[in-house]
Amino acid sequence: VLTRWLAWTRGIARRRRIDTEIDEELAFHLHAETEANLTRGLAPEAARRAALLSLGGVAQTTESVRAVRTLAPDAVWRDLRHALRSLRAAPGFTLVALLVLTLSIGAAATIFSIVDAVVLRPLPFPDADRLVSVGERNTTRSAPEPHLAAPQNFLDWRTQQRSFTALAAIGYASISVRPERDQEPETLEAQAVTAAFFDVLGVAPLVGRPFTIDHEVDGRARVAVISYGLWQRRFGGRPDIVGRVLPGQLASFEILAVMPPGFAWPVGATRPTEVWIPSVFRPDERVRQNSYGYRLEVIGRLREGVSIDLAQGDMDRITTGLAAQTPHWFANRVAIVEPLREHVAGEVRRWMLMLLAAVGFVLLIATVNLANLVLVRVSARSRELVVRSALGASRWDLVRTLIAESLVLSLAGAAFGSLLAWGSIEVLRAAMPADVPRAASIGIDLRVLAATIAAAIASGLAFSAAPVLLFSRHPGSIDVAGAGRAHTSTHSHNWLRGALVTMEVALATVLLVGAGLFLASFARVTRVDIGFDPQHVLTVRVRPLVGAANWALAQQRHRGLLTMVLERVRAVPGVAVAAWVGGGVPLRGDFRTTEIGVPGRVLPPDEDLDFNQISPDYFRVLGAPLLAGRFFTDADRDGTEPVVIINEAAARRYFPDENPMGRTIEFLGARRIVGIIGSIRHEGPEAAWRRQGFVPLEQSDAVGATLVLRLSRDARDVLPAVKAAIWSEFPGLALPDISTLSEYLDGLVAERRFNMLLLAVFGILGIVIACVGIYGVLAYVVLLRTPEIGVRMALGAAPAHIRRSVLQRAAMHLVIGLAIGLAGSWMLSTLVAGFLFEVRPHDPWIYAAVSGTLVASGLAAALIPARRAARVDPLIALRAP
Amino acid sequence: MAKSDLLQGTLDLLLLRVLVLGPNHGWGIANRIRQMSHEGLDASQGSLYPALHRLELRGDIRSEMTLSENNRRARVYTITAAGRRRLEVERRSWAQFALSIQRVLDGTAD
Repeated sequence: VLTRWLAWTRGIARRRRIDTEIDEELAFHLHAETEANLTRGLAPEAARRAALLSLGGVAQTTESVRAVRTLAPDAVWRDLRHALRSLRAAPGFTLVALLVLTLSIGAAATIFSIVDAVVLRPLPFPDADRLVSVGERNTTRSAPEPHLAAPQNFLDWRTQQRSFTALAAIGYASISVRPERDQEPETLEAQAVTAAFFDVLGVAPLVGRPFTIDHEVDGRARVAVISYGLWQRRFGGRPDIVGRVLPGQLASFEILAVMPPGFAWPVGATRPTEVWIPSVFRPDERVRQNSYGYRLEVIGRLREGVSIDLAQGDMDRITTGLAAQTPHWFANRVAIVEPLREHVAGEVRRWMLMLLAAVGFVLLIATVNLANLVLVRVSARSRELVVRSALGASRWDLVRTLIAESLVLSLAGAAFGSLLAWGSIEVLRAAMPADVPRAASIGIDLRVLAATIAAAIASGLAFSAAPVLLFSRHPGSIDVAGAGRAHTSTHSHNWLRGALVTMEVALATVLLVGAGLFLASFARVTRVDIGFDPQHVLTVRVRPLVGAANWALAQQRHRGLLTMVLERVRAVPGVAVAAWVGGGVPLRGDFRTTEIGVPGRVLPPDEDLDFNQISPDYFRVLGAPLLAGRFFTDADRDGTEPVVIINEAAARRYFPDENPMGRTIEFLGARRIVGIIGSIRHEGPEAAWRRQGFVPLEQSDAVGATLVLRLSRDARDVLPAVKAAIWSEFPGLALPDISTLSEYLDGLVAERRFNMLLLAVFGILGIVIACVGIYGVLAYVVLLRTPEIGVRMALGAAPAHIRRSVLQRAAMHLVIGLAIGLAGSWMLSTLVAGFLFEVRPHDPWIYAAVSGTLVASGLAAALIPARRAARVDPLIALRAP
Repeated sequence: MAKSDLLQGTLDLLLLRVLVLGPNHGWGIANRIRQMSHEGLDASQGSLYPALHRLELRGDIRSEMTLSENNRRARVYTITAAGRRRLEVERRSWAQFALSIQRVLDGTAD
């Protein structure tokens, strides 16, 4: 409707303009001729009449000029109109084609918009291609890891490097600010950065000036640069912001500057950083001793003309020099320079590109399918084409018609597909793993639209190529005598059609095998026994703010406060069991380790055991089984015998052939083992068991811990009372980490679920499109063969026999396509082996299931035309001309 | 020769020829043809303007609306590079054509 309207208005507007121009032109002619006649001495009236005569009638002339201008114009426009007309005349074909195109282009546009925003697009900084990340990598680990750097190394790099205009280090920080009026206490996302941070990224503040290297010293570091968002939100965008104070709970910061809107680091974070404070290096971080802490993200801007390789060479030179002085710091460690964009995308890059490839397959299947549909249409329209060619249309004219039709289809597909993508992006954003970088910048923008249109045009040209090639190779394929009927000339069509369907089946097979592998992996992951029950467990981290000066005091006082909170929380309705845990919460991604010693045994140096401080009911909250001994009780307290519970994994390692019960280990002092607990998968279903040790909270000097509560009610109903209980002992404390264990678990499998869902959708799309292809081809073949079938039936062939012959044809395409597809999957699936969990890329069950599914749905699609063939009425079939 | 009997296609040739002399409007072109043919040809019989527009669509000439000497809007045509090339080709083929006709009429070829 829209295109028709556009065509109509465009025609009207054009015509009107042309008319006035012609009128003017002729009026001028008339005027000039009249003047000339006057100078020749004619009377005014006669002069004008002679002029009119010489023009040969103004109306006729206007008419013939208009005919020239409006009929001959741009052939493109005419082709377009023709294409629209003929697509309207074939609503069935148009609908199927549009549906296939909309779904596939929509899927491709959606995935591209995500991958583009997260992986491909340049970072939003000036000269972003010169931005790099510099990090350290442990060469003994094959698993990729975030390339963080030790402060000692950063400080040396900063002074010795020659490749960068500047290097900057970024560390984690968070600032709890005092609550405003009735608000709950708030924790701001903050980063401690070195002064060069803003220079490296190349962004100057909107207001004020950033801090300098002079601020990177304890005592002078109470300054902050804030984000535009925080300025607006907390300070109402007041112009006198510079010099005002950001009231942190531990310390207050003088605001030096406000960054411009849109400045964000990390880029496109769903929870953006709001405060940047100077990075301060502790004295022990400035010398190289025997403890290593890798906590800094380092970014740099390459000097003009310096390549990544050159910079890498520079860093290697520095590392060699440093290693000569302190070799133990550089055993198996190298410095890595990589483009910042890749560093930001990180691990996500791999599976994102995999998804992009998968959606490429979907688009490919759709294109092949469309080629087939167009081919069928060309045959069905050969009568029209013959007539047109008889009327003088050149072959190029006919080819152009086909291409115009295909492009109209694919561009309409792009339009609807973009709409589809626009709708589905929000759905996908919600389903996406929370740790996807740059997620906030995902959306349909001009770049995505341009790529979508380009892909649509490429697809349109590709799927009109098959019939076009056929056209130009076999002039006879415009079958004059039997236009539209089956004869020799259509053999090549049939062959090509069969090949195309086979190709669709093969491509769909690959997609389905991929989907199957991911589905199976996900199923295995969800079936993993993690050793405890994560359902209905709420966790609330209580991390009191304690300045270094008050630390010792806090260690004495806080244990009592924590106990009091626990008493109050136990009384909250809906809390079934309550406990504290300090150290690490299962599935949250944190753990703390400390050295262990077993008297009478020699352990490797630096042997560590997870260290957790717990209150007695902790294992009851988790539902972890006690294998031997006892849980802690309230009787295990400060002053009684120091005790420890270890898990099964630790027991196996340290006491492989003896009973550990009652033995004493060195674990922050000598402690007697009183219990053995079943191992839990602390880091989620895909991680190995960790060796863990647990000590009573009462026998430790915990300053903070995490409340873990087994609930008999919904967490939302319980939370207000729990918060109140905490604030009664820790007033004004911000509580940023509140989550249930099942939410943490969901987060751990989110990436797997996301990939599985998308691949499943792609697989279904692939199989549906392939079935449309099978149906379309067989339906057409049956149509062509109607007279032949009529003859056979007249000669006594049974309908069942006819039906079987059609199904056999379908089975042939299916089997050949399947064979090619399975072979392709066999080779391609090794590429995704890294994404699989306890599933081999060549798992025979999956290949078998895929084959069964494809054959079944393919035959189902073939059944309709097969039935139709079997119902052919010989009388009608034979009587037809 | 009757004034209206321009052969199909020759009008294009004449128009291009006139425009080689410089940009001109429709009336001016018609006048020029009249003058140059010593009043032998008259191109303003309803065929001049369609021909000009056809040439423009073909890209041999282009036009723009301008104000004439006495402040009236007139469409002025200018020959393009493609038009000049076409003129050369057409001129040659016309010469060939005229020569052939002449030979037939003179009957000297046996």
